[in-house]
Amino acid sequence: MADRAPNVRRVRLIWPVVALPGIAWLALFFIAPLYVVLAILFGQIDPILRQAVPVWNPVDWNVIQFKYVLTHIVGERGYFGPALIRTAVYVAVASVSCLLIAYPVAYFTGRCAGRWKGLLLALLIAPFWISYMMRMLAWVNLLQNDGLVNKAASLGGLFDVHVDWLAGHSSTVVLGLVYGYVPYMILPLFAGLDRIPGSTLEAARDLGASRFQTFLRVTWPMSRQAVVTSMLLTCLPMLGDYFTTDLLSGSPSTSMVGNLINNSVLTPGQTGQAAAFVMIVLIVSIVPMLVYVRASREGEDMRI
Amino acid sequence: MTPTGRRLTRRSFLARALAAGVATPVLAEALAACGSQLYTSGELVIASPDKPVRWPLSHQHPVIESGQTPKPGGTLRLYNYADYLSPGVLKDFEKQYDVDISVSTFNDTDEALTKIASGAVSYDIYFPSYDQIAKLVTADLLRPLNHDYIPNIDNLWSQFQNPWYDQGWQYSVPYTVYTTGIGWRTDMVSEDISQRDNPYDAFWDPQYKGNLAIIDDWHTAMAMVALRAGIDDVNTGNASDLATLRDQLMQMGQTTNPKVTITMYNDLPVGQYGLAQMWSGDVVNAVYYLPKDTPASLLRYWFPTDGRGLVDNDLMVVLGTGTNPVAAHVFINYMLDPAVAAKNFGFIGYQPPQVSISPRRLVADGFVPPNLETAAVLPEYFRNGYRLLEMPPTEDGQWHEIWQEFKANG
Amino acid sequence: MSTTLAVRRAEQATAERSSNRLSHWWSSPRRKPWVLASVTMLYIVWSLLPVLIAVLFSFNAGRSRTTWQGFSTKWYYGDPLRSVWHDDSLHTALVHTLRLGVVVTVITVPLGVLLALGLDRWRGRLPSGANFVMLLSFVIPETLLAVAFLFMVTQLTWLPMRLGLSGQVVGLITFQLSYPTIIVRSRLLTIGKQYEEAAVDLGATPIGAIRRVLLPMLLPAIFASTVLVFADVVDDFVLVRYLSGDASTEPVSVKIYNTARAAPTPALNALASLILLTSFLAITIGYLAYRRLNVADHGSSTVGTFAGEV
Repeated sequence: MADRAPNVRRVRLIWPVVALPGIAWLALFFIAPLYVVLAILFGQIDPILRQAVPVWNPVDWNVIQFKYVLTHIVGERGYFGPALIRTAVYVAVASVSCLLIAYPVAYFTGRCAGRWKGLLLALLIAPFWISYMMRMLAWVNLLQNDGLVNKAASLGGLFDVHVDWLAGHSSTVVLGLVYGYVPYMILPLFAGLDRIPGSTLEAARDLGASRFQTFLRVTWPMSRQAVVTSMLLTCLPMLGDYFTTDLLSGSPSTSMVGNLINNSVLTPGQTGQAAAFVMIVLIVSIVPMLVYVRASREGEDMRI
Repeated sequence: MTPTGRRLTRRSFLARALAAGVATPVLAEALAACGSQLYTSGELVIASPDKPVRWPLSHQHPVIESGQTPKPGGTLRLYNYADYLSPGVLKDFEKQYDVDISVSTFNDTDEALTKIASGAVSYDIYFPSYDQIAKLVTADLLRPLNHDYIPNIDNLWSQFQNPWYDQGWQYSVPYTVYTTGIGWRTDMVSEDISQRDNPYDAFWDPQYKGNLAIIDDWHTAMAMVALRAGIDDVNTGNASDLATLRDQLMQMGQTTNPKVTITMYNDLPVGQYGLAQMWSGDVVNAVYYLPKDTPASLLRYWFPTDGRGLVDNDLMVVLGTGTNPVAAHVFINYMLDPAVAAKNFGFIGYQPPQVSISPRRLVADGFVPPNLETAAVLPEYFRNGYRLLEMPPTEDGQWHEIWQEFKANG
Repeated sequence: MSTTLAVRRAEQATAERSSNRLSHWWSSPRRKPWVLASVTMLYIVWSLLPVLIAVLFSFNAGRSRTTWQGFSTKWYYGDPLRSVWHDDSLHTALVHTLRLGVVVTVITVPLGVLLALGLDRWRGRLPSGANFVMLLSFVIPETLLAVAFLFMVTQLTWLPMRLGLSGQVVGLITFQLSYPTIIVRSRLLTIGKQYEEAAVDLGATPIGAIRRVLLPMLLPAIFASTVLVFADVVDDFVLVRYLSGDASTEPVSVKIYNTARAAPTPALNALASLILLTSFLAITIGYLAYRRLNVADHGSSTVGTFAGEV
């Protein structure tokens, strides 16, 4: 027994060593780039080329560009405001729609599918593996003026249907977002619903609870964690989306904050503004993460 | 984590602040030692037809020696708009000179200039318009041309053999000439746009809402707004002109919700929309993108017959950091060959200023269908037309800001 | 008499039952969930049909992507200029995509597995902070990381990474690192420390304990993350687009995006279909191998863990 303690201690000492490469990687390639964003945000602009010139020393930072962005969000020339609000609305509508679609699907697959579960799950996962661009490309084709959607809607020439789906409609963009991100919602939801022991639900029913009551009193509360997780996993990536609206609309009337970033990153004189939006979206993403991590720490082990 | 552990004591806070205070400047110094400084200083000289400019020669990038041949098996890197070079022409060149060509594309020249200036990419040839040449030269990003390699310059219209934007063509060779007008389809737009008193008004006409597009280039799009408002100086820095520009641009966004794109040559023929601000080359090109059952005769293009519209030309320049300048020179000369230029024209729809290609005979020679005769670029357009010039940084910033506001909002 | 009465009663009961059948059926806890089933079916059709149609049009004989003009493989091979086989830019994109997938996966998975081990077993402030950063890298919009990386690569030109392959690889590893870490960690939670400590007790060296005891138990999770990372890298768009240097470092997704906005031909659909095929091959092979590895382990849902149920 005498040599047990040192050996166990040795195995404990090894964990920091094992974690080190990964931690160093994150520090070097996740934290450091964010510092570069700050250096550009608070940096200078070259007088002639109007390219961003980063300022590395925080002592010399200047807030002109950040102030410019902040003062142009609200107020008389607050032209960034509408795009930010639009982003919030699109993301909210799209993620709630995602939930409305994903929950029943995940519920059915997890709880009722029986021996079809494997196959169903494989089909649900399939879009997850198909490149986002491919799926958007598929919709761009379908929604063309002479595309299959209009053709199907005209029932073979019976009606004259001419919906310009791609002419800059918010609804098309939200539809695209829902289509694109639903798979990311279904998987964590499925995992959560699948974890609820069948015996709990049986017990509720045996005690006389109706289907609806069982859902409301047992299933929903037990799946709430999964719902929060899946909402987080869908909403946050959506915040940075610019390509969906680019491909399905291309009109400024559907610009999201991702478009503000994408448009200004490589525009002379506006790179610092892109940096400002990156920081704003980052803060908006960190807050729910912090709340979430804290909340799940108070529960049992953290599971994402 | 215990509750006490979470609370930051005063002492530990001070210790951490101190550590951070020491660490950050050290880190910052280390970074600054290797980081970038300002690229440029001084004034930007702006060339214009009234004020031709001869640029100073590059400090960093010497003219290449005469008499070399491209390294066999080397790679020539081109940086261009998408679909703006004939793949057939590239294949021919690759075969003839045993050089691999790789074409990288950009969406607009702003993006391209930013990437080039950052030094993070290296291309051999860049295809800008003359509205960036002062910046490119001032930041010392170009390599002056060795004229020995480019005898084919003699094939060009005389006005391009000593252009105002680059006297003595030290850095640039013209690639294409084009006008910017309005393209439409007669099956989706019932009127003849050219018969309007002010054809540009169509873009503010609510009946075309959701059925039109403008060019995704701040200067080109806003210059149209200026012309519509009767502002002839499409490079204006005048505050009240800019205010008018902004108001009308926003008004257009609200009344007609245009798409903002550079893919008219594909979208118009497939019927994505019926009316678009267009480059003359794109409307010619659009013919090749028409679906089988759509006749070319329904395409139309308007450009003022007196030539008082937007007339510009694009360039080929050799970038200083390119690794294959010899092949770049040879390629430029190749593109100025009459047969090659004609073949390239046939694919991209943009007319080269070649003496051998007679603008008045484009229809007869089969380059352009009769209904698009208006898309031919005539040499005299360059006398009356308006040019999109380079702008001083302040004005440039003001224009960009308006464009950004438009793009954010619609 | 008594028999007729009995018959009558039985008839009455039947009538009652049938009148109640609908509401009874609806509220029965054993009812087949038809509504849910049809929602699920509709969803599956909606999610997969557009893609199937896109694949179908890669076999179109004409250049239209909306009107069917007969079957042909010209966009894969036949067309001498624009087919995937003959258009250099298309197969360069394909090759580059696969190259990225392999290189990034090979580096990311070991790095992530080690990080997961460290973060799970090592307690303290630093690892929990690192854990938060790792989770953050998992959920933040990819655009943010992409822009930050673009800035870093273009501003700090002394770094060994350039726009192009090197920048893309490092960026993707950073973005993907959280996948293996999270999957392996969730597996570690169910394993507990007793195994490696027992092994050490029995005289194994710490490294030996990890290698001989822990790693085999983690193999399914490692496998799952390998496939997941590969498929995700192959699909990546935002990072690789910002960090692409020239035409030779533009992968398929970027090609699709650039061309979908310009003038696509069915060759683009063909290219996308090929990538799709690659992903599915990787997944099928991975899945079969995983099942084989996992025979002894009757987990709640093999497909679920495999799918990156995290």
